[in-house]
Amino acid sequence: MSVTNIGKQFGGLVALKDVTADFREGQITAIIGPNGAGKSTFFNILSGALKPSSGTLRFRGADMAGVPQHDYVHRGIARSYQITNIFPNLSVLENVRVAAQAFRSRMNIWADRSADRDSLDRASTMLASVGLSARAATPAKFLAHGQQRALEIAIALVADPALLLLDEPTAGMGPEETREMVALIEKLAAQRTILLVEHKMKMILGLSDRVLVLHHGQLLADGTPTEIQANSEVRRVYLGQNDGYA
Amino acid sequence: MSVIRNAELVPAPARRNFATLFSNVSRWRVPLSILALCILPWVLPSQALAVNVLIYGLVAVGYNLLFGYTGLLSFGHAAFFGAGAYATGIAIGAFGLHWFIAMLIGVLVSGLLATVMGVLAIRTRGIYFSMVTLALAQLVYYAALQASSWTGGENGLRGFTVSTLHLPGFSVNFLDPLVKYYAIMIVVAAALWFVSRVLSSPFGAVIEAIRENETRARACGYDVERTKLLSFILSGILCGLAGTLSAMHLSIVPLDSLHYHTSGLIVMMTLLGGAGSFFGPFIGALAFLSMEDIFSLWTSNWQLIVGVIFILFVLYLPKGIWGTLISWGKSR
Amino acid sequence: MTVQLIAMQLFSGLALGAVLIMVALGLSIIFGMLGIVNFAHGALFMVGAYAGLYVAGLTGSFWWALLIAPVMIGLFGMLIERFLIRPLYGRSPDDPLLLTFGLGYVLVEAVRIFFGTDGIPFSTPGALRGVVNLGIGFFPLYRLFVIGVVVAVLLLLWIGLEKTKFGLIVRAGSADPLIMRVLGVDISRLWLVVFGIGVGITALGGVLAAPMRNVSPEMGTLVLAEAFVVTVIGGMGSLPGAVIAGLIVGVSVSMTSLFAPEMATIVMFALMALILLVRPNGLYGRAAPGL
Repeated sequence: MSVTNIGKQFGGLVALKDVTADFREGQITAIIGPNGAGKSTFFNILSGALKPSSGTLRFRGADMAGVPQHDYVHRGIARSYQITNIFPNLSVLENVRVAAQAFRSRMNIWADRSADRDSLDRASTMLASVGLSARAATPAKFLAHGQQRALEIAIALVADPALLLLDEPTAGMGPEETREMVALIEKLAAQRTILLVEHKMKMILGLSDRVLVLHHGQLLADGTPTEIQANSEVRRVYLGQNDGYA
Repeated sequence: MSVIRNAELVPAPARRNFATLFSNVSRWRVPLSILALCILPWVLPSQALAVNVLIYGLVAVGYNLLFGYTGLLSFGHAAFFGAGAYATGIAIGAFGLHWFIAMLIGVLVSGLLATVMGVLAIRTRGIYFSMVTLALAQLVYYAALQASSWTGGENGLRGFTVSTLHLPGFSVNFLDPLVKYYAIMIVVAAALWFVSRVLSSPFGAVIEAIRENETRARACGYDVERTKLLSFILSGILCGLAGTLSAMHLSIVPLDSLHYHTSGLIVMMTLLGGAGSFFGPFIGALAFLSMEDIFSLWTSNWQLIVGVIFILFVLYLPKGIWGTLISWGKSR
Repeated sequence: MTVQLIAMQLFSGLALGAVLIMVALGLSIIFGMLGIVNFAHGALFMVGAYAGLYVAGLTGSFWWALLIAPVMIGLFGMLIERFLIRPLYGRSPDDPLLLTFGLGYVLVEAVRIFFGTDGIPFSTPGALRGVVNLGIGFFPLYRLFVIGVVVAVLLLLWIGLEKTKFGLIVRAGSADPLIMRVLGVDISRLWLVVFGIGVGITALGGVLAAPMRNVSPEMGTLVLAEAFVVTVIGGMGSLPGAVIAGLIVGVSVSMTSLFAPEMATIVMFALMALILLVRPNGLYGRAAPGL
C-alpha cells in the first residue's frame, strides 16, 4: 500500500494535507497523533470508507480511486472499528460466517446457506483462534466488551487480508485484555501487514516496527519507535505536553 | 486468546426443550404453515375472511422480507399490491388474456415498478427512505386516479371476472368459495416456500447482516445498495402476486388498494404479528383481519380500536405476537 | 394565455406553497431537534383545521380560531410527546415513526366520530372576502392574507431562533444533542416544547388552509405526502430548505394546473424523484454522516 500526497477537505475544513507514505509488507505500522490530527480521516481513506479529495492511493500497484468500499476487502484490505461494530442480534458464529461468505456467495437467493461448508469451517476455525468457540451460539450483543473486541477482529481476519487496518484495537480494555490483544497482533503480523491507530504509547513503542505521527492533518514524523521517541518536534507537539504518555 | 473467563453456564434442561421446539418449528416452517392454511377456512367464521387472511398474509410476508429482514421501513408497498391487481385486471378485462398470463403480467408489472421505486428510494437512508417510499407510492395512486380510462378512476377497476380457471386437462370452478380458497392457497403456499428458501440462502444471510449493521456489512465486502435493491424488488413482486390474487378473488380493484392506508395496513399487520420472523406476518394478518371482523360488527369506527391496539404494540410489544412468544419461550 | 394569467397563477402557487411551508416547517423542526419523523403530522394538520372550525363556531370569530386552535393543538402535541413518544427514546428510530403512524390513524377515526365523515365547508371570514387589484390582475384577498401570515410566522421563528437564548439552545441542540447534556440543559423539557411548537405550526397551517379547501377527515393524507415531498426536496431538518422547497412545489403545482391540470398532483412527486437522482440529501440537506 502506498499513499501519495493524500488530502481531504470537508467543506472548508482541511482534515488531511499532502500525506505521503509507503507501507511495506509484513510490518506493523502505528499511526499516532493528538486528537483531531486526522488519524481517523486517514484511516477511513485507507479502508475506502472515504475518498480522498486529492492524491492517489495504490495497493499492490493498482490505483484504488474508482474502487467502491465493498470491493476493498476482496482486494485484500480489511479493517476493524474503534467502536465495536458487529452484528448485534446474530449469533457469534454467524457474525464471522457471514463475513467469510462474502468470498463465496453474495447474491445467491436459492442455495441453502448451510451447504457452504467452507465459510462455516473458516468461521469456526477463526472463532477458535480468538477463543470464542464456547460462545458460538450466543447473540453477539450478549458478549462482554473484550469478547466483542475479539469478535470484531475475527470478522476482519476471516477475510484473510494482506493488509489489516486496526482502529484502536485495545480501546476500553484493561491491562490483562490489552496484553492478550498485543499477543494476538504480534501473532498476526507474521503473515500480513498491519496498520493500527492507537493511544497507548507504551504498547505502540513495544509493538510496532514503524510509527507515523500526524499533526494538524500533516505528516510530522515517520520512523522507528526509537527515532520517534528521540524526535524533538514530536516531543514538542505531542509527547512533551504530557510526559505520562511516554 | 482466552478473553472468556465467565464461560456460559450449561443451559437448563427446560431451556433446551424450548430451544429444540423452536428449532424444529423453524425447520418445518413451510409444511407447518401449509397445514395451518389448510385448516383455516374450517376454523374461521367465514370463508371470505379466510381468503383475505391468505391474500394479506402473503402481502405481509413479502413486506416482511424488506422490513423485518432487511430493516427497511417502507410506507409504499400498496403501490406493488395495487399495481399487481390493476395489471391483472386490465390484462383480463381490456385485453381478454388468459388468467395465467394475466397473473404473470401482474407480477411483472409490480416487479418493474419495484425496480424503479427501489432505485430511487435506496439512494436515501433511514427515515428518508420511509418518506420517499410513501411519496412515490402516492404518485402511483394519483397517476391511477388520473388515468381513469384505464383504471376506472375513483370507481375502481371493474368489468373483469374469472369464474373458471382453465388448466391443461381440467378446470377449476372459481365461484365455489371453498374451491377458490384452496386454489389461491396453492399459489400462496408456493410463495411461502419461495420466501423460506430465500431466507435460508446466502442472500438471506446478507440482508440480515445489513439490517444489523450496514456499515459493517459493506466493510465485509457486500454491495449494500444492490442487495437492498434486490430485496426491495423481491418484496415488491410478492406483494404484486398478492395483488393479482386479490384482483381475481374480488373481480374488482378498488382505487384504495393503492392508497397510503393500504401501505399502513401492511405495516400494521407485519408489526402486530412480529417483523423479522417467518410466521409473524401471517399471524399478524390473521389477528388484524379477525379484529376487523369482530369489531366492525358492533361499531363502524373499528379502525379507532385497531389503531389504539397498534400503538400499544409499538409501546409495549414491539416484537409482535409471534416475536414475543419466541423470546418468552427462549427465556424460560 | 396571457402574461397576467401566468402571474396570477404564480401568486396562487405562493399561497399554496405558504401552507406547505407551515406543514414542512413543523415536520423539520421536530426532526431537527428530536430526530424523529412525525407520521401523524398530516392528521394533526387536519385536527388543527377542525379545531379552528370548532373555535370559530363557539366564538363566532375566525380570528379567535386562528389564535386559539394552534395553541390548543400545540398543547395536545406536548401531551403526545410526553406520554407516547418519550417512552420510545433510545429505541430504534423506526419506533416513533410507527407509533405516530398509528396515532394518525386514531386521530382520523376520532374526528370521524365527533364531526362526521363528510367534508364541512369553512367559510372565509367576512373581512377577508373579495379580491384585491395587484396591478396585474385581481387576486383573492384571503390568499394574500395567508401569504402574509406565513411570512409573519417565518419572521417570528427566525427572530426566535436567531435572537433569543431559547433559539440558541435549540440550534445548538439540533447540531449536537450531546452539547446539551454537557451544558446541563434539561433536554426532555426542550424536546417537549419543540414538539409542541412543531405541531402548533402545522395546526396553524390547517386553520389557514381550511377556507381554501373543505375540511374533511382525509385532508391530512395528501398534506402528509406533500410535506414529505417538500422536506425531501429541501433537505431534512433544514428550515431555509423547507421554505424554498415549499415555494418551488407550490409554484410548480399551480403552474402545472394551468397548463396540464391532470398532471398537477403528479408533478411534485416527479420533482422529488428528480431531486433524489441529482441530490439525494435535498437542496439544503447535510450529507449523510460519514461512515
